[in-house]
Amino acid sequence: MSGLAPLTVREIKKWYRNPVYLIVGLLQPVFWIILFGSAFDISKFGGPFVSSFFDGAPDYITYMIGGILTITGLFTGMFSGINIIWDRRLGILQRFLVSPIKRSSIVFSRIIASVVRIIVQVVILIAIALIIPDGLKISHSFTIVDALLMVAAVLMISFIFSSIFSIIAIRMTRMETIMGITNLVNLPLMFASYALFPPDLMVSWLSDVAKYNPVSWSAESIRLLIIYGNLSGSQMSTFASYMIYLFILTVIMILLVYFVSESGIKE
Amino acid sequence: MSMIKTENLTKIYSGGTKAVDNLNIEIEEAEIYGLLGKNGAGKTTTIKMLTTAIEPTSGNAIIDGYDLKRDKEKIRRIIGVVPQDLTTDADLKGIENLRMIAAFYNIPRSDADKRIKDLLDIVDLSDWGDRYVSQYSGGMRKRLELICGLVNSPKILFLDEPTLGLDVNTRSKMWKYIKDIQKELGVTIILTSHYLEEVDQLADRISIIDHGRILITGTPESLKASLKGDVITMEFQSKEEADLARAYPGALNASLAGNSKVRMKVENSDTELPKILSYLMERNVSPLTINVKKPSLDEVFLEYTGSTIDDDIDPEQFRRMMQNVRRLR
Repeated sequence: MSGLAPLTVREIKKWYRNPVYLIVGLLQPVFWIILFGSAFDISKFGGPFVSSFFDGAPDYITYMIGGILTITGLFTGMFSGINIIWDRRLGILQRFLVSPIKRSSIVFSRIIASVVRIIVQVVILIAIALIIPDGLKISHSFTIVDALLMVAAVLMISFIFSSIFSIIAIRMTRMETIMGITNLVNLPLMFASYALFPPDLMVSWLSDVAKYNPVSWSAESIRLLIIYGNLSGSQMSTFASYMIYLFILTVIMILLVYFVSESGIKE
Repeated sequence: MSMIKTENLTKIYSGGTKAVDNLNIEIEEAEIYGLLGKNGAGKTTTIKMLTTAIEPTSGNAIIDGYDLKRDKEKIRRIIGVVPQDLTTDADLKGIENLRMIAAFYNIPRSDADKRIKDLLDIVDLSDWGDRYVSQYSGGMRKRLELICGLVNSPKILFLDEPTLGLDVNTRSKMWKYIKDIQKELGVTIILTSHYLEEVDQLADRISIIDHGRILITGTPESLKASLKGDVITMEFQSKEEADLARAYPGALNASLAGNSKVRMKVENSDTELPKILSYLMERNVSPLTINVKKPSLDEVFLEYTGSTIDDDIDPEQFRRMMQNVRRLR
């Protein structure tokens, strides 16, 4: 797709030259992991019985890391939308619009750059979670294949979020609107999901809603891999179905971004 | 064949504003064509339509043989655009901005680098290519914008208010660069401006646009001439001498102004004045004073639009201008 490579390179260059972006993107999830993750010690709640609610996680950080990584994707994905609006306000978008490039490459380049950013953040976050005291405990049977599957889940969920925010930004001229939307959807997406709490602890209507939340699919997939590594039959079928949902949603997003941006992106 | 020909090109914005109203212009190859008008006259909208940035509401244009409605992609390949706003990314180096644009046109890296070097040379930015655009001065930034529109070796270059927000000195330097570019690259240039002096200096032909309509088109000279020529006023020692001068056959009209004063209109005082003098010499008459008044584009503009050019400015235009001025500092 013409224009995709140079535009993606531009985004990535801007990002790695300005470490502030990376640090800001990391701070919030680090606080979540260290403070929220340590605030709540599963073993003090009555041993194996309570632990069974948490998918058998040895501690809460290990349980919630999949959710935090997913939420990080949500936040960083917002930037792909903000950057589109920013280019429009500065006038840089005009240069792209009069060039013989695919209109959708303007949007896809942002999404791809966001996904790259998210993957880097995820790697750093896992490293941090591993080194803090009483931190993340990854299963002994966790293999390189599990690591790749985990990356695939993060990749798909970050693609989905980046796409949603980009589509919102395609016709928008105000930064405040997209920030407002993010604040609005952020809490429901986070709490109406399996990101932080297990479905068995939820009020039944909430756990029903959470079932359809892509945040749950990604969080639960990552969680299963981290806690068990080697998945049993029923775990495998849960994992596979979540990954398929994520995949289908990713494909829908690719098509949606393509058609909306080809016809809709304007100055 | 003309490079650009528009057929009733019209743009009505969603609010109902008719920004461009049945525009019919024809631009020849390798000329510098100036679109002169006030803020909000429809200049930028015209450029945006012709450069495929926005869709015309109705009408069409043929650009180098391509149909504006059907062949957008092909038109984008042969045009260069320098919009009114700054389009370079200040977080990148000058050369990185230019390379990114080259990649948009799939120009191979080695060709692109050679082209970029040449272009940086033309606008005296050779030493600045490797620096971040955020370090450029306002004038340098505008020069970089100028060559951004030339990376793909376009046949047609669109310049929308190329010197907006620049100070007088920097502005005249920009004019030199624009002239050099036209001479060296032989590109057709379409330029919009609300600076009369700018189009007078640069353009081979001018159209005055107001409320989205073209009021008149012509060379700067012919537009001024359409005001019926230069005015030469001469004072003589006696009425007899003045009467002799009044009889000069090359004048468009001549009249006595006062007792021994002649007010004469000629097509072009530069060529006519020597002839008048030798005509008078032959008759042994010499004037006491001579005053020549050439009609300026200011007067032309006043004549056709009924107002001076720096009358009003709409708020959106003002915001954009201030944004540019801020970033050019």
